[in-house]
Amino acid sequence: MLAIEKLQVNYGSITALRGVDITVAKGEIVAVIGPNGAGKSTLLLTIAGVVKAKAGSVKFDSRPILGLAPEKLAASGLALVPEGRHIFGSLSVAENIALGATPRSDRDGIAADTDKVLGMFPVLRDRYRQRAGNLSGGEQQMLAIGRALLSRPKLLLLDEPSLGLAPLIVKQVYDAIYALREQGLTVLVVEQSVNRALNAADRAYVMSGGAIAMVGRSSELQGTAEFDAAYFGAGQRDPGRSPA
Amino acid sequence: MIVVQNLIDAISLGSVYALAALGIGLIFSIMRLINFAHGELIMVGGFVIYALAGNPMLVMALSAIIVVTILALGMERLAFRPLRKASPPTLLIASFAVSYFVQHVILMIFGSRPMGVDFLSVLGESFEFAGLRVPRLQCIAIVVTLALMVGLVVFFRASRIGVQMRAAAEDFTMARLLGVKADRVIAVAFALSGILASFVSLYLVAQTGTVSYKMGVNMVLIAFVASVIGGMGSLTGAALGGFIVGIVSVSLQAYLPEELRPYRDAFVFLLFIAFLLWRPQGLLVRRASERV
Ligand SMILES: Nc1ncnc2c1ncn2[C@@H]1O[C@H](COP(=O)(O)OP(=O)(O)OP(=O)(O)O)[C@@H](O)[C@H]1O
Ligand SMILES: [Mg+2]
Repeated sequence: MLAIEKLQVNYGSITALRGVDITVAKGEIVAVIGPNGAGKSTLLLTIAGVVKAKAGSVKFDSRPILGLAPEKLAASGLALVPEGRHIFGSLSVAENIALGATPRSDRDGIAADTDKVLGMFPVLRDRYRQRAGNLSGGEQQMLAIGRALLSRPKLLLLDEPSLGLAPLIVKQVYDAIYALREQGLTVLVVEQSVNRALNAADRAYVMSGGAIAMVGRSSELQGTAEFDAAYFGAGQRDPGRSPA
Repeated sequence: MIVVQNLIDAISLGSVYALAALGIGLIFSIMRLINFAHGELIMVGGFVIYALAGNPMLVMALSAIIVVTILALGMERLAFRPLRKASPPTLLIASFAVSYFVQHVILMIFGSRPMGVDFLSVLGESFEFAGLRVPRLQCIAIVVTLALMVGLVVFFRASRIGVQMRAAAEDFTMARLLGVKADRVIAVAFALSGILASFVSLYLVAQTGTVSYKMGVNMVLIAFVASVIGGMGSLTGAALGGFIVGIVSVSLQAYLPEELRPYRDAFVFLLFIAFLLWRPQGLLVRRASERV
């Protein structure tokens, strides 16, 4: 579904990604974890077409997508919930959700999916006509995810969905992510919070200093010394754990 | 009575300023471009009317609207789209360049002298109403402006592309991530600004009966002042700012000592500077939008 090879991204003289390789198979939930400044957001923004890559390739559904505009990628089944949510605060909850369906024109399908999202996050139904800027942080996160789902994405990119949220709300958000996985959605999720990501994901990549330090099945990574070393920036690499 | 008379003058002038300010504010809110070439859209509309003099009024008016809208789309396509990623100062300078270019093309074709046009001159007549002498043109300006504003509100609230434009104005990158087509919303914004500019042309030509290659310059400055007063990026603010500048101008005209009246606009700009010192962000500003 997603194949990233030797991806390199610079911001001026700063190298944010230095040759990143990641694959995500259809139906998988893959986590990328890493400390502040590791390059996780840059990775997602580059996949989504917001940030330009310096070198490397990204294939989505076997099609090279580097250099395509974000709106093109949205129309081809990619959705990003960026860090900080980026809700349109002056628009209503209803308008925010409707904007998620921008690439679509099937009215009935859109109505059905809107209903599904409101069923998934009932708070949004209660606040449907209100200004989205008045929602709490957790409600905004639900809105951001619900909005992204309305494009019926094949691949959902989530950037720190649990950031700044109360544990109960984090659980609600992750329950939604699990439910979506049951329905065959593919998810690439970025987190700083290690346990949550490892619990949710099938596989995880540990990113540090713009490079992949480690990769493996979540169950294997959890609690190992190499994992701690990789996460906390010792930069220890373990090629034996590379994916097949 | 004189107060009511002045109020009608103020609202009608304000409504025209509001239309011009909305054109500036619309483009700014979507792409952070202060389009000084908006004045040339207004000016070219005037020259379309001049060139078609003698034709039925409706033909002149519709042609002006169509030509100005196409010109606005052309400016976007040829001058501003290639600069889409440029910084706001670069965009501003580009808009000056476009403005001078269009002025000089018109100068080459029509010369520098203002020229008379007979357009809707019947509207210059007044009618008596409750003891007031109300020029028809002023009434029409108010009614047309209100109709255009209601139309804009409906467009931005009820149409899909209108909602997309509001989203893009708040957070352009996020809108694109949801599939909003950048080229499309910007083109629609320019088309709308062209339509608004052409209505200002109709008013100016009907009111003054002349066209000149400089006729847009003063109007665009006032529109800019109005949109800054309202708060750059807020369309309601731009409209409000237009009405405020109209009211201030007419008040100065009415209540300044006779010998100072010719300098009315100087006083308007003076008050504007004082306003900026008091409230540099404008009356109705939203928080600067966060970008992805
Ligand atoms: N727009 C930008 N301009 C310049 N440098 C940037 C920009 N965005 C990110 N960087 C730098 O690139 C590196 C990677 O940043 P990125 O935001 O991708 O990290 P992250 O892993 O998402 O961090 P966090 O966990 O804090 O969200 C950092 O060193 C950061 O300072
Ligand atoms: Mg980040």
